[in-house]
Amino acid sequence: MSEEHSTHPASEHAAHDEHHPHVNYWYIFYALCILTGLSVLADMARENSTLVNMTGTHNAAILTCIVVLAVATAKALFVMLYFMHLKFEGKWKFVLLAPTIVLAMAIPAALMPDIGSHYYDYEVPQLEPEEDAAVAAEGAGAHGHDAHGAPAEHGAGDKKE
Amino acid sequence: MSHTATAPIHSHVPALKMGVPIPNGKLGMWLFLGTEIMFFTAFIGTYIVLRLGSKGWPHNPEVTHIRIWAGGLNTFVLITSSVFVVLAHEAMNSKNYKLATNWIIATTALACVFLGIKSYEYYGKYDHDILPGHVAESSRQALDKMVKELDKASGLLPLQQEETRLNNAIASNPNDKTSAARLVDLQAKIKALDPILEPYQKLKNKAKFGESSLHATHEAAEELKQLQESHPVFKSVHEPHYIKWGNTFASIYFLMTGFHALHVIIGMIMFAIIIILGMSQKLGSQHATLVENCGLYWHFVDLVWIFLFPLIYIV
Repeated sequence: MSEEHSTHPASEHAAHDEHHPHVNYWYIFYALCILTGLSVLADMARENSTLVNMTGTHNAAILTCIVVLAVATAKALFVMLYFMHLKFEGKWKFVLLAPTIVLAMAIPAALMPDIGSHYYDYEVPQLEPEEDAAVAAEGAGAHGHDAHGAPAEHGAGDKKE
Repeated sequence: MSHTATAPIHSHVPALKMGVPIPNGKLGMWLFLGTEIMFFTAFIGTYIVLRLGSKGWPHNPEVTHIRIWAGGLNTFVLITSSVFVVLAHEAMNSKNYKLATNWIIATTALACVFLGIKSYEYYGKYDHDILPGHVAESSRQALDKMVKELDKASGLLPLQQEETRLNNAIASNPNDKTSAARLVDLQAKIKALDPILEPYQKLKNKAKFGESSLHATHEAAEELKQLQESHPVFKSVHEPHYIKWGNTFASIYFLMTGFHALHVIIGMIMFAIIIILGMSQKLGSQHATLVENCGLYWHFVDLVWIFLFPLIYIV
């Protein structure tokens, strides 16, 4: 790396790329494709009955979430290190990226207590009790058969997230 | 360190220099990418926070009309275009400018494919009226929305308003022959709508004044389908159903993917500059940094999509 420092900072490109080993970009491409396939598989696995029976729907969803986000991070690292050449750059990359990452984490962290988590009962129209129940209670006298509360249909949007 | 007039300085301590050992353009591009990272993480962070805080967020792809195959294909397209742009950069380094231009043309072609698939998805959303502010979030809203759309599709209201206006005009001026003639025409037009009136009014009144429940929306959907079969003028009316948090979902979806698509378009403009230089044989070693920086920008666009894909399509 010291040869690099002795040349002019704005030197020609030729001086810059002499020192990095030749990366076969197609291998990185194959790795990225395999990882993409993995995340699609993880999505399909979430519906898989064996997994759901073992862990429950909610936990299967969380597991899928962790797997796909890990896969996304791995893909991002491949792109950043090899395609964007960061593996072979100097320490300045940390100077640039560290404050960025800090600020990137700041927004969700700052908003989480405000919007993300609810530690008191809050009233929004979307969380009003299922209308079927209210109407069924009212109309129980007139239409006995309307008293169903099955929300698991098209348009219901499950109560769990 | 010894300093003599004649002896050259050979030392293992590199000469201290200001700045980082990369071209100014590259540093500038990296600084810009740093700001872009913050830009996109603001939106993605907001999406995460909104979604975690909204109990009942729609995640069924049938409801949200999210096609995972489209997202996966787009991911593959962007990854391939990233490889192409890196190969263009390598070609620039080997001074093979024709090859570099060809790789950039291939990258731009893939970017067009990406935008094509995206616009197919956007059209699907538009078709199902999953747009910010358009989504019904309760059965009452769904039924009211259907009534509004029925009214609009029937075309009755403007005719009735015109009729009132003409009647008023004739009442204030009984000799108004043109208004009278127009009124006759208008009444013929209204009469022509008679066949649709009965089923339309029936469905409308039931939706407007009947019970509002999930069951009622299902019934209304069935009756609407029958109405649409017998009277195609109502084909533009959307099937009534509600999506809790649908408006927030649509809003953040279009925000994230829209800004990403905008960045893709900007990338394509930058590639167009390189292609024009290449096609007019003007691409030279002085453009090596330009191609590298455009490549860096494109990799960033790819990176954002790599995170958008699981967050929107899978989780």
